[in-house]
Amino acid sequence: MIQQHIFLFFISILFTVTVNSQIKEQDTIKNKEKYGLRIGVDLSKPINSFFQTETKGLELVSDIRVLRNYYAAVELGFLEKTTNEDYLNFTTKGSYIKAGFNYNAYENWIGMNNEIYVGLRYGLSFFNQTLNSYTPNVYGTYFIPETIEPNTEFKDLTAHWVEFVFGMKVETFNNLFIGASISFNNLISTSDPDNFKNLQIPGFNRVFLNNKGVGFNYTLSYLIPIIKKNK
Amino acid sequence: MKKYITIIIVSFLAILSCEKDDICIEATTPNLVIRFYNNDIQTDVKDVLLDSVWSINKNGIEQYKSVSTDSIAIPLNLNEDSTTYIIENNSIKDTLKFIYDRKDIFVSRSCGYKTIFENLQIESNSTNWIKNININNAIIENDTAAHISIFH
Repeated sequence: MIQQHIFLFFISILFTVTVNSQIKEQDTIKNKEKYGLRIGVDLSKPINSFFQTETKGLELVSDIRVLRNYYAAVELGFLEKTTNEDYLNFTTKGSYIKAGFNYNAYENWIGMNNEIYVGLRYGLSFFNQTLNSYTPNVYGTYFIPETIEPNTEFKDLTAHWVEFVFGMKVETFNNLFIGASISFNNLISTSDPDNFKNLQIPGFNRVFLNNKGVGFNYTLSYLIPIIKKNK
Repeated sequence: MKKYITIIIVSFLAILSCEKDDICIEATTPNLVIRFYNNDIQTDVKDVLLDSVWSINKNGIEQYKSVSTDSIAIPLNLNEDSTTYIIENNSIKDTLKFIYDRKDIFVSRSCGYKTIFENLQIESNSTNWIKNININNAIIENDTAAHISIFH
């Protein structure tokens, strides 16, 4: 009787140990996560170019997974845009680079690869502004001002700023991601042209009165997996 | 959660759509401000009985028709470097030609550019009721103070 009990006791211990080890093995197999380089394109800018003939733009996006929840991100872009205001018409043309990181706050289920992230960027832009035409603003209609077309080109202008990004990425097919993000930009400094102002900056978009801006992008990107790591 | 997101998006759009720089509130192209003084006691302002004030080949300025006033603010022609005005006081006319340089200054996105006038000079061929003219400020960049004093 006692012998039988001892035997049962040992068997049960062994059994739990084997079961435990089996569960652990299963975990490690399923929890491999992909680390790699993701490159893509912002779809909103070519669509904008198509519908607004006065705007031409392109933006390439890329990020690389550095830590489990951290991604180093870079955006490269180009913009040519003519802005028409009540008393002004000007064209902004230039390119920009944004670099920073994203923090993924979304806890994925096993096998999922989605992101809801917040991020920070530093942006730098090199551009030209062309003042196409303006009408001097005068109160009243006693003398109607004529529109002046100076076509002055202000060259070699720069601007740099910081961005707070909020966005999400969803893996739709294997390694193919669709993402959308919105950014809140804060201008650090810009070289304003003589007797004019940078009202539009490539990458920063419209410069509001308090030196703030907003950006939006809608991206399609592809992940090139480099390594697979355990969780 | 959905409700909160909608509220956030709506309030965000509301903030974005109403921007201060959509409406021009800054001062734009200034007018020429003229003050009338008594020629005998030159520190005293003296009213004129304006019948009309007009620029050559144009109608009279609405607000200065048959009024008694000690100062007027009149626009300068910002398409040319001179403006000729005829001021009729008590049925007596005097012609003044204002000559100036124009300069366009950037104000803001919504206001665009304003024109300021520099090196103001006055050519006057008639002294029917105007006895003397003094230029107080040859640069017209705002219309807060009188640029010209006319003694009569």
